[in-house]
Amino acid sequence: MKKNQIVKVYLFFAILIAALAFMVKFPRLTLPFGFSYILYLMINPVASRILRGNNQQRIIYSLFFTACACLLVVPLVATLYNAETDFKQLLKHIPELRVKLQFKYLQFRELFIDKTGVKLSLDPVTYIMRNVESQGANLLSSIPTLVSAILEWMLLVPLFLYFFFKESKTLKVKFMEFIPNSIFEKTYVLFSQFNTKFGEYIIAKFIEATILGSLVTLGLILVSFPYPFILGIVAGVTNILPYVGPIIGFVPAIAVALLSQNPDVTLLSATLIYLIANAVDMVLVFPLLVSKIVNLHPILVVVSVLAGGQIGGAVGMIVVIPMVAFIQLLFKEIYQDLNAQ
Amino acid sequence: MSFEEKMNESGEDEKSKRLNISLLRYMWEASPLYFKESYHTFFRNLSVLKSFSDNDIRIFTTYLHRREFETNEAIFKYGDSGYGFYFIHSGSVSIQEPGGEEIVHLEKSKFFGELALLDEGHRRPATAIATTPTVLLGIFKPDLDKMLESHPVLGAKFVHESAMILANKIGHMTKEIMALRRKLEALEKKN
Repeated sequence: MKKNQIVKVYLFFAILIAALAFMVKFPRLTLPFGFSYILYLMINPVASRILRGNNQQRIIYSLFFTACACLLVVPLVATLYNAETDFKQLLKHIPELRVKLQFKYLQFRELFIDKTGVKLSLDPVTYIMRNVESQGANLLSSIPTLVSAILEWMLLVPLFLYFFFKESKTLKVKFMEFIPNSIFEKTYVLFSQFNTKFGEYIIAKFIEATILGSLVTLGLILVSFPYPFILGIVAGVTNILPYVGPIIGFVPAIAVALLSQNPDVTLLSATLIYLIANAVDMVLVFPLLVSKIVNLHPILVVVSVLAGGQIGGAVGMIVVIPMVAFIQLLFKEIYQDLNAQ
Repeated sequence: MSFEEKMNESGEDEKSKRLNISLLRYMWEASPLYFKESYHTFFRNLSVLKSFSDNDIRIFTTYLHRREFETNEAIFKYGDSGYGFYFIHSGSVSIQEPGGEEIVHLEKSKFFGELALLDEGHRRPATAIATTPTVLLGIFKPDLDKMLESHPVLGAKFVHESAMILANKIGHMTKEIMALRRKLEALEKKN
């Protein structure tokens, strides 16, 4: 390789690293930018399908996708509205909940002394409730910051989204011209594969979470279980996390079932509903939607999710899976190249 | 097939079309009155894309990547993973064995690397080196996938043309193998 070609490769990687460093340094800009990019990847396949074809086809596609969006958005808005009512009820019941929890704990402590003769000096209920209260107070104090951040995102996300739709093709061509010849083919193919997989994965997880959340909500409504909407949302959102998500999503239902004095509200009925919803997810939704997009070893998925959570919180846990799939692809390419040499 | 039918087939509705400046520009560039060489005139003169209409070529060129190479710069090396099919817009390219011996020398308007588009996990069977300052127009696997998704008729036409190139090459190779076998048999008989 000639000297100027080597310089080009080094310059390319130096600019890439500088861009990454800039993104880490300015998260207020990077996060809405990244979110807009994810939205762009989700909307783009639908938009290109609508723009394809003649006027009649466009109208039919537009109507079809609007109908799909309504089918998704109307129940979502209704659920959010009902979830707010659920949440207000839950807040009202917190003092009552505290007394009930304290009572249950005292019962357990008595039983523990009877069986083992050891007196428990811990008071976990007070500790948990104090924590909940302090977290609530923290949340209240951070509301102004939260509101300003939301306003900032409301301004930046549509702006970035418009920029992606208008300029992405030109920007892509410019970026491609900048890639040195010696690594062009591989970089371009990997970049395209990452974009496609990432967009598909986010859409698939979104649909999967909606289906599971809806199934749980419907099931809980059918057995007259309290807070069906809020529990459905929690089940749907936590389901985005692979393997551990369904278990975390089930914990609030256990708490509600144990603390309820209504004889109709049983742990068995909640367990059955969560089991059925997760079985439908495992047997039907996951194999059809998600498994074709990323095919990673289960242990690698768990380790990645934990690492992603440590680095980037809930967003990190979601984004890490397509990232790891991409890194796996990258290593596979490098390994194959080394083998070929 | 009429021009209108071709337009409709490639996803363009004539009724909905406004004044399309880029289409008018390509039609002007395609006319005999226009002499300056463009991508359109370049591809119009290529026999491998003979089944493409002017509009097909216009759409096809939007999927291409222009890559510039200096003299003696490697385009790809033997054993590299291959994803691209290249047309020589200007300059010349030498296709070489791993040892450096030239297999074929390609000039302007020739093409190479078509197998990479059709073969999964393709490894380059030879090294390609630019022998003069060269401009290549390349189409890569993700571009072909996108073309098949957005313009399926055009994508199918291009895959068909690529398959025809391969079929021709296999035909030539078979003839060469048979000629070599005959020579070998003649030599064996002599000895």
